[in-house]
Amino acid sequence: MNFSHRILYVFWRNMVSYKRFVLTTFLASLIQPLFYLITFGIGMGAYIGHFGGKPYLYFLVPGVLITSVMMTASFECMYGTFVKMIHEKLYDSLIATPASAEDAVAGDIAWAAFRGLFSGSLMMIVAIFMGILPVSIISVLLLVLLMVFVGVLFGSLAMIVTSFAPNFDFFSYYSELVMTPMLFFSGVFFPLDNFPGWMKTLAQFMPLTHAVAIARAIFNGDYTRGLLFNFLVIVVLEVVTFLIGVRLMKKRLIK
Amino acid sequence: MAAIITARQLGKRYGNFKAVDGISFEIGEGECFGFLGPNGAGKTSTVRMIHCVSPVTSGTLTVSGMAAHVDNRAVKQQTGVIPQEITLDNDLTVRENLQVHAHFFAIPRAEAQRRIDGLLKFVELEKKRDSRIDQLSTGMKRRLLIARALLNQPRIIIADEPTTGLDPQARHLIWQRLRQLKGQGTTLVLTTQYMEEAQQLCDRIVIMHQGRILKEGVPARLIAEEIGREVAEIRAAPDQDERLLAELAPLARGHERVGDTLYLYSDDGRALMKKVLELDLPATVHRPASLEDVFLKLTGRGLIE
Repeated sequence: MNFSHRILYVFWRNMVSYKRFVLTTFLASLIQPLFYLITFGIGMGAYIGHFGGKPYLYFLVPGVLITSVMMTASFECMYGTFVKMIHEKLYDSLIATPASAEDAVAGDIAWAAFRGLFSGSLMMIVAIFMGILPVSIISVLLLVLLMVFVGVLFGSLAMIVTSFAPNFDFFSYYSELVMTPMLFFSGVFFPLDNFPGWMKTLAQFMPLTHAVAIARAIFNGDYTRGLLFNFLVIVVLEVVTFLIGVRLMKKRLIK
Repeated sequence: MAAIITARQLGKRYGNFKAVDGISFEIGEGECFGFLGPNGAGKTSTVRMIHCVSPVTSGTLTVSGMAAHVDNRAVKQQTGVIPQEITLDNDLTVRENLQVHAHFFAIPRAEAQRRIDGLLKFVELEKKRDSRIDQLSTGMKRRLLIARALLNQPRIIIADEPTTGLDPQARHLIWQRLRQLKGQGTTLVLTTQYMEEAQQLCDRIVIMHQGRILKEGVPARLIAEEIGREVAEIRAAPDQDERLLAELAPLARGHERVGDTLYLYSDDGRALMKKVLELDLPATVHRPASLEDVFLKLTGRGLIE
């Protein structure tokens, strides 16, 4: 592994390029989560009423927030990176400079995390306007930090997929077979309590479950000791997927 | 002339495929050195190892006194690469492309700005500085690739088929710029399939085929040694060979039959052409020998696929 400060320059390159797309992605990253908030939150929330003493939206918002980080970071490291690697050959020109393949890939993961943070923050702002507030300013800061962690995690996971994706269609396997089930079985929309035991066990293997649990606790200020375990899972998975993602991408880039 | 690049028994393997099969060469500082060869000869694989984006499988490769390997940032810092494919950043403008690239070489902002202005002038793209890449013609894109390769004021420039797909004007402009750089003492490593390009630019060439070096030398001397000064191409059916060669072969230094054409090589074609006139062979072309003849003679005139 050969990392350097040039990761920042890769990040910077993405920033310069992004200024032309910021408005379109602004809308795109807002629409889907907003859709969840309106349909599940307001539509279904009216039937559900209160959840642990608070309106359903307090349950839903942190989950949707993390989901939007996951979606944005994943798609950035799949479609975004794939286009840069295969169609535009950008990685080829990057690795011909003193930047290493590791720098280039890590820079893109960092960028994906930033994009995820951006989408998640937008959601948080929307929620605040809807009157659904995190308990304190500390909660807001902790959520921001969490979003960065979650962005790196899902960016790295997507990088692993990209490292052996033969074409665009391949990504739909990952999004349909991995991301979508995660969305419904990770406790984003409803608690896992009523699931049968095996399903609860399965949910423990989904990184989103742990991320959502932490986000919800931070948002509502109910910290429990179990969160330490959730956090540990996120950190370990993050380190492992990051290193594997970088290594596999390097194998694909350097022949 | 001190060698800046030295390869000893250099090999490159992709799985079971030997792309480069134990080649040795030395490139002197300030020299223009050309790798010629048909598609798949191993030219690009060789230069990719030189500029440290592809690992060496076997043998040794030294660049500026350092071993070349993919983590060698010091070699990459002093190398400028004009790639075969257009690897410009489509999301950025011409100037932004250069600015972003300059970061990676740790060029301070003001200095980068100064170099960018100078280079845009050098490749005649000043008016396009704020254009997007998709608004440029292929020739302009190739020129921008040259400007980008020069940002770090490289000691070594790697040009991998730099004029593929260009019209004659654009090609000549690029040749002039490359000669100018060489005049400033930069070492040029060129790969090409165009013999004219090699003759225009290279001090020395190697002809590669199937991962090996077939011949090395100065272009003019290679032509003189392998072919001679002149070539007569006679379009005639193969069944005429016996009759024609009985008359013509003694006057030539060599001959070759390919398809519908009989090639005769000579150092002084006057006697030969007199005979051709006597035999009344109107479908004959008489021309100076070129590097293309050497190339085709060595790599074979059949299609390589």
